[in-house]
Amino acid sequence: MEPARAASGARSSEQARPAISALGISKRFPGTVALENVDLIVARGEVHGLVGKNGAGKSTLLKILSGAQPPDSGRIVVGNQSFAALTPITARRAGIAAVYQNPELHLDLSVAENIFLGAEPRTRLGLVDDAEMARRTSELLGRLGLSLPPEARLGDLDIALRQQVAIAKAVRERASVLLLDEPTSALNKAQADFLFRLIRDLAEGGMAIVYISHHLDEVLAISDRVTVLRNGRCVGVVASGDVDKDDLIAMMVGQTVGETAARRAPHPPGAPLMALDGVTVPGRLDHVALTIAKGEILGLTGLTGAGARVLAEILAGIRTPSSGSLLLEGEAFRPRSIHAAIAQGVVLVPQDMRGRGLVMPMPVAQNLTMARLKAIAPRHWLNLAAERERAEALVGQLDIQPRDTTREAGLLSGGNQRKTLLGRGIFAGARLLVLEDPTEGVDVDARRQIHAYLRSLADGGTSVVFVSTDLEELIDLADRILVLRNGRIDRELAPSGLTPERLLAAIQSDHERRHAQETEGTSDV
Amino acid sequence: MSEAIAEKPAARRRSWDIGRYTLLITLVAIVVVTAIGNPRFFTINNLFNILLQISVLGILAAGQTMLIVSAGLDLSVGAALSVAGVVAALTIVSTGSIALGIAAGLATGALIGFVNGLLVATNRATPFIVTLGTMTLLQGAAIVISGGSPINGMGALFDVFGLGDLFGVPNPVYALAATLVVVFFVLRRTVLGRSAFAIGGNEEAARLSGIPVRSRKIGLYTLNGLIVGVGAVVLTGILDSALPNMGNGYELRTIAAVVIGGTPLFGGRGTVVGTFGGVLLLGLVSNSMNLLGVGANYQNVVLGLIITAAVLLQKRG
Ligand SMILES: Nc1ncnc2c1ncn2[C@@H]1O[C@H](COP(=O)(O)OP(=O)(O)OP(=O)(O)O)[C@@H](O)[C@H]1O
Ligand SMILES: [Mg+2]
Repeated sequence: MEPARAASGARSSEQARPAISALGISKRFPGTVALENVDLIVARGEVHGLVGKNGAGKSTLLKILSGAQPPDSGRIVVGNQSFAALTPITARRAGIAAVYQNPELHLDLSVAENIFLGAEPRTRLGLVDDAEMARRTSELLGRLGLSLPPEARLGDLDIALRQQVAIAKAVRERASVLLLDEPTSALNKAQADFLFRLIRDLAEGGMAIVYISHHLDEVLAISDRVTVLRNGRCVGVVASGDVDKDDLIAMMVGQTVGETAARRAPHPPGAPLMALDGVTVPGRLDHVALTIAKGEILGLTGLTGAGARVLAEILAGIRTPSSGSLLLEGEAFRPRSIHAAIAQGVVLVPQDMRGRGLVMPMPVAQNLTMARLKAIAPRHWLNLAAERERAEALVGQLDIQPRDTTREAGLLSGGNQRKTLLGRGIFAGARLLVLEDPTEGVDVDARRQIHAYLRSLADGGTSVVFVSTDLEELIDLADRILVLRNGRIDRELAPSGLTPERLLAAIQSDHERRHAQETEGTSDV
Repeated sequence: MSEAIAEKPAARRRSWDIGRYTLLITLVAIVVVTAIGNPRFFTINNLFNILLQISVLGILAAGQTMLIVSAGLDLSVGAALSVAGVVAALTIVSTGSIALGIAAGLATGALIGFVNGLLVATNRATPFIVTLGTMTLLQGAAIVISGGSPINGMGALFDVFGLGDLFGVPNPVYALAATLVVVFFVLRRTVLGRSAFAIGGNEEAARLSGIPVRSRKIGLYTLNGLIVGVGAVVLTGILDSALPNMGNGYELRTIAAVVIGGTPLFGGRGTVVGTFGGVLLLGLVSNSMNLLGVGANYQNVVLGLIITAAVLLQKRG
C-alpha cells in the first residue's frame, strides 16, 4: 500500500499544541496492571498508531480517552482543557469521538437519524425536520465521499458501512479527535482501503486520529507516528518512516522473534473426511461439490455474499442446504441439531464473539469446556478439578493472558477472548473444525502460535476449514484455498508461491476490480 | 510460549465493592437494632421461629434462583403451590395416606413445571408472559379443584410439618436445608446447572456449543416445579389446611429474595447462598418489625425500600 500519509500537516504542526495528550496514565484492575504511567500525544492532523500485544492495554487507554473508564492517575489535556478523568459526556464536549470495531449505533434508526441523534434539525413547530435532516446528511456524506442512502435502516447495513456512519456522526459533531479501535479487523481489503482513504482525508482536514490495529503493515502505512505498548507500559514512540514491521514486533514482544513458521510440507492427501455434492441454498450457494481430506487445512474466501460463510455454516451443520448431499466418512451428514453435529465431531467456532461466541459472565475455564461437558462430567456430574486442570493446560497452550482460568471471559482483552473461543473449539475434540476468522483481533505473535497449533492439530488428523478475508492468513495457514463467487467455487489455489496481490486479484472479479478502483468498495464488497 | 506477562499476584481488591457487602451489613444492622430494642430476639425459640417462618419462601426462592440464572422466571410458583397443596390435601383426605398425598403434591408441582418448561422452550414468548398466563390459569384451577374452600383434616401431615421437630429443629427447616443443598449442587456441580449459567449468559453461544437448550430449559422448570411441590407439602402441613389462595404473593417475594441475594434478573450469574441471605433478610425484617411492634402497612413500606435499594445497588453485568 502507498504510504500516502498526511505527513506535511502533522510534521509542521508538531511544535503547536497537541490536539490531545494523555500524560502519566495509570490504570489497575483487580489482579492486573492495565496501564502504568503511559503517555500518548497526538498532534492536529496526525494519524497516530497504537500497537501492542493482546492485553497490552490499548483498548483500556482508548476507553480512558473516550471517557468510558476513569484512569487511576494521570491527566488528559484536550486543546486547552485539562482533565483528571473524562466522562462520555465531557469527552464528547471536548471533541473526542470513538468508533469501535462494531460501532455503538441504533440499528432501528436510519443513517440520518443516527448521525443527527440528539441534534436533529427542527421545524418552527419544534418537530424534527426530516427533509432538512436528509438534506444535511446527504451533504455531509457527499463531502466525505460516502455513498450511503440517508434513509437506510442501520440494521440493514454491514459493519463497514456502519463504521462509516459512526465516522460521519463524529464529523457532524465536529470532533477534533477520532479514536479507532481495531476498525479493520472485520473488514475485507477493499473496505479497509476505503476506510484508510477516509482517515487520511480527515487527518488532512486537521483531525487527530488514534488508530489501534494488529495489522502492522496497515499501521505503518497509514500513521505518522506509532506508540508501542508492552504490558501496560509505553516502550517507544516512533515515526513510521523510521521503522519496519519487524522493528515494531520486536518492540511489542520485547525480543526479536523468529520468522514465520515454515508452511507444512505438502503432504499426501489423506482419506476423504467430508464430501459435498450439488449443495445448494437458493440465492446463496449453487451446486457446490467439494471433498475435504483428513488432516487438511482448507481456506475459504470470497467477497461479501459470495458464499464462503454460508458454505462454512453448512459444513458445520448449523445450516441445512435445500438440496445436495453431505457425506461424513461415507455416511450422510444431516444433524438434527448442533448438539448432534458436535456429537459427530463437527465443531464451529463463530466469528461473532459477543453475539454467538463467548458467555461473557462465565469464567474462562467454563467457556473452554462448554462444547464438550461430557469430557469432564461423566454422568452429568462435573469434575471441577479435572476441568481446572484441562482448562489450565489449554490456557497455557494458547497463551491466554492472564493465566487465570477463573477470570470472567468478559474481562479479558479482545484478543484473549478470541483465543478462548478458539480454545473451546479445540477442546471439543473435533474431527472437522470449522473456524470463522480464527485470528481476528489476535496479535502477530499469538497468530503465529495459533497457526502452528492448528497445523499440529491437522498433523494429528483433524481437518480444519476456515473462512477468512485476511490474505496473509489464507496464504500462511491453508493447504488449499477456495475462492467463492456468486455461490460457486470459482477457483482453487495452492498457497505456495501465491502472493497477497494475486490472491486479491482472484477474489475480485474483473468487473468488481474495475468497480473497486472507481469507488473503492462503497457498495457490496 | 512467549515471555511471561508481568501479572501482579491477585493483590488485595482495591476497589471496595459495596454491592457485595450490603446484604451482610444490613443483616448485621437489623440484628443489632432488634436485639437492643427487644431482648426476646436472641432467644433460640425466636431464631427457630424465624427459620420456620422463612422455610417455604426459602424453598421456592431456591428454585427460582436456578431459573433466573438461566435468564428464565416463574411467576406461577405461588399459584402452583396452591394447586399442588390442594391436590396433596385432597389425596390425603380421600386415601388417608400421607405418603400418597406427598407424592401427589410433588408430582403435581413437577408436572406444572414441566408444562411451563415446554412452553418456555418454544421461545415464542418470554418466560414472564408464559408464566403470567399459567399463573392466572392455576389460580383459577386451585379454586375449582378445592371447591373454593380450605381443605382440612390431614392430622398426620400437620404432625410432621406443623408440630414435628428433630433435635429441637422444626421439620420444615430440614426441608429448607435439603432444598438449598440440592440447588447448590445442581448449580455448581451438574451439567444441568452449568447449562443454566451458559443459557442465561448467552443463549445463542450455548446453542452453538451443542448445549441442548430446549431440553435443559424443560429440565430446569421441571425441577423447579418439583421444588414448588415440596413447598406446597410443607406449607399445607404447617397450616394443617390447604387454602386455594395460600400461595398468592410468593412469586414476587421469591423474586425479591433472589434479587436481594445478588442474582441479576438478566441471567448468567447468581448463587443460591445469596438467595438464602435474601430470604433471611426478608424474614429478619418482618420478625424484628413484629417484635418492635411496627404495623403491617409500614412493614410493606420498609420491605419495598429494601427491595428497591437491593436492585439499585446491584452491579451491572
Ligand atoms: N474490566 C476489567 N477488569 C479486569 N481486567 C481488565 C478489565 N478490562 C481490561 N482488563 C485487563 O487489562 C489488560 C489490558 O486490556 P486491554 O483490553 O486494554 O488490552 P488490549 O491491548 O486492547 O488487547 P487486545 O489486543 O487483545 O484487544 C488485560 O490484561 C485485561 O485482562
Ligand atoms: Mg483491545
